[in-house]
Amino acid sequence: MKRKYANEEVDAVIVGAGAAGGVLAKELSEAGLSVVVLDAGPLRDPQKDFASDELSMKSLGWQDTRIVDGTDPLTMGHNNSGRGVGGGTVHFTAVFLRFQDVDFQGKTIDGIGEDWPISYEDLEPYYTRTEKDIAVSGPKHFPWGHYNGPYPYPEREPLSPNAYMFMNGCDKLGIRSSVAPLAILSAPFEGRPPCINRGFCNQGCMPDSKFSTLIVHIPKAIKAGAEVLPDCMVTQVLMGKDGLAKGVTFVHNGKPYEQKAKMVIISAFVVETPRLLLNSANEQFPDGLANSSGMVGKSIMVHSSNDVYAKFDDEIRLYKGTPVLATTLDFYRTDPKRDFVRGYTLHSHGARPVEFANGVSKAQGGPIWGERFRQALLDYNHYGRVTLVGEVMPNMNNRVTLADEKDEYGLPRAKVTFSYGENDRKLIKHAERTMSSILEAEGGKVEFVVPDTAHMAGGCRMGNNPADSVVNSYGQSHDIPNLYVCDASIFVTSGAGNPTNTVMSLALRTAEYIVEKMKKRELQTSRG
Amino acid sequence: MSGITRYPSFNVLDEKDAWDDHTQQIVTSRNQSIDKYQFLSEREAEILRSICSLLVDDSSPDALAFVISHIDKTLYSSPGEGQRKVGVPAASELIRQGLKAMEQSSQHMYSISFAELETVKQKNMLKDISEVKAEPSAIWNRVPQKALFEKLMRLTVESYCSHPQVWSDIGYAGPAYPRGYVRTQLGQLDPWEAKTENEA
Repeated sequence: MKRKYANEEVDAVIVGAGAAGGVLAKELSEAGLSVVVLDAGPLRDPQKDFASDELSMKSLGWQDTRIVDGTDPLTMGHNNSGRGVGGGTVHFTAVFLRFQDVDFQGKTIDGIGEDWPISYEDLEPYYTRTEKDIAVSGPKHFPWGHYNGPYPYPEREPLSPNAYMFMNGCDKLGIRSSVAPLAILSAPFEGRPPCINRGFCNQGCMPDSKFSTLIVHIPKAIKAGAEVLPDCMVTQVLMGKDGLAKGVTFVHNGKPYEQKAKMVIISAFVVETPRLLLNSANEQFPDGLANSSGMVGKSIMVHSSNDVYAKFDDEIRLYKGTPVLATTLDFYRTDPKRDFVRGYTLHSHGARPVEFANGVSKAQGGPIWGERFRQALLDYNHYGRVTLVGEVMPNMNNRVTLADEKDEYGLPRAKVTFSYGENDRKLIKHAERTMSSILEAEGGKVEFVVPDTAHMAGGCRMGNNPADSVVNSYGQSHDIPNLYVCDASIFVTSGAGNPTNTVMSLALRTAEYIVEKMKKRELQTSRG
Repeated sequence: MSGITRYPSFNVLDEKDAWDDHTQQIVTSRNQSIDKYQFLSEREAEILRSICSLLVDDSSPDALAFVISHIDKTLYSSPGEGQRKVGVPAASELIRQGLKAMEQSSQHMYSISFAELETVKQKNMLKDISEVKAEPSAIWNRVPQKALFEKLMRLTVESYCSHPQVWSDIGYAGPAYPRGYVRTQLGQLDPWEAKTENEA
């Protein structure tokens, strides 16, 4: 393997080139730091490696087996974890929402859950910059939250048939709806063309209209001098006797390598980040790195993401256009009239045949197979769908631990345990009723309600108190000052909307903090 | 096979020249026949064909051939299962044990192979497995039935619904790069999309 820094100590080694890792790589290398980015998966060329096909593009997900447990064991892989340079941004739907005050200060505002050590105001300038950096498209007026537009680029137009159905249904019920803010271009930007409504956002965008760190941040990082090494699985964080991080070990094509670094930044997402910290346990840190609080791997969250499919007399054609184009956040915040706290976002949500059929087969009251399955498939073009993104409350029993079984590198596999709590279940019930009523208002007959989840967060949560959190609000480990975690694992709560904008904005904030520390020569580094 | 297509004259492959090369190559290869299985025995493949046909209620040989080939490939070598419930054996083991148990149950109850069993009896056994009621327990006590059914369904559905013949049947216009979808208001169609011929 050709390497730029084989025997050198770089300023920063970043583990994982996803939403957060991509932003960090660009920011740190443009600020003059020497940076190596290691990603477990491949570096793809959208033109040659992507296809308009669900089955072959399953490979964009992290398919390596995770052991799942709990009363609501999670579907992993393409459902929530990316693999390869660009990470989850390569296959995400590109919905680009900001969190709201209540997402950061839920305990203070609603008296329940947990507070983050930062508020919406702390993150606001970074949201603005992230949205501008990638020319987020969205409405002139967005009716919810603390930022009501206008977005850097105009809203998408035209939408999809399913999005029009959804907005019509919302109108009839007096529910406000809007074109979704999307990290998908509505006009040319930096040599990239606007979206052609091809519909395969989850299979990788071939025209490069959808943002991913693969096509936006990583090329900029490389231009600024960063070395990006694909197909390199990091197996351990190397620690000095002084309790500081020295670098990482990784495997490429079956061979072990080392990369020395002044600081180690782990951006490997909610499962692999805790797994790497736990797998890096040594004599000095027998319970895993950065884990004096015992919180590494604990309190992971997802979004409840149940789907409601209704059949219409007229065709909808769920395959046409960008999957999510319209949304409502009318149910986002706590309403004392409901029997649960917090809330949810609803999206009009297109589906191609594999996703549709998989959903139908595991619908409530199922499994659906045989004649009923076949009939649903033949009626595919007459179905419309609405999907939930619901807040899930943090719970210590939901966690990532190490399984006994080993993977191809000889490392213990991750075990992911998840069960919904009572508030989560009540929220889902409420959302299922709302989704059904929107579809019914437009003349749909609800046929399938599909339990599902999306996104992940937590497992290395941030906080001011080292006794109950893993990192501070900049992702810096309380225990090991030159070890950072920067990805959705540092979330304290899940929020009630799509998380990528928040992940990337936190990464911008962390990058600024690190550059500042470097300038002031405040960075502690290992002396061996 | 129950139900009929609304789009009998639509063939999604008529439009393949409008697709990018990579997608064309992937999708058209699904119509090619397979020479040899790498994981499944001929016997296992035969039983699987009956099962998959019942799961999707379709006996079209081309689509089923692709389904079996996909299952064979996946069980022989895949980057992983995404997730596996605690206590459930790896997919290759789960399917192999499951097929063996189905064959043994059939021999035990009817003294003939599952593949030769009447359709209604095959269906009943699948229904029992889906409800975790398959018997006798001496045969089934080591096979997690729910996990088996879900794995069979998932592998079948993801491949069946990726076959161009199924795309044509359901009126899915599919790949649209580089041209995209242009007419996307409710009720609008791009000229090359399937048009309804039969109302169900």
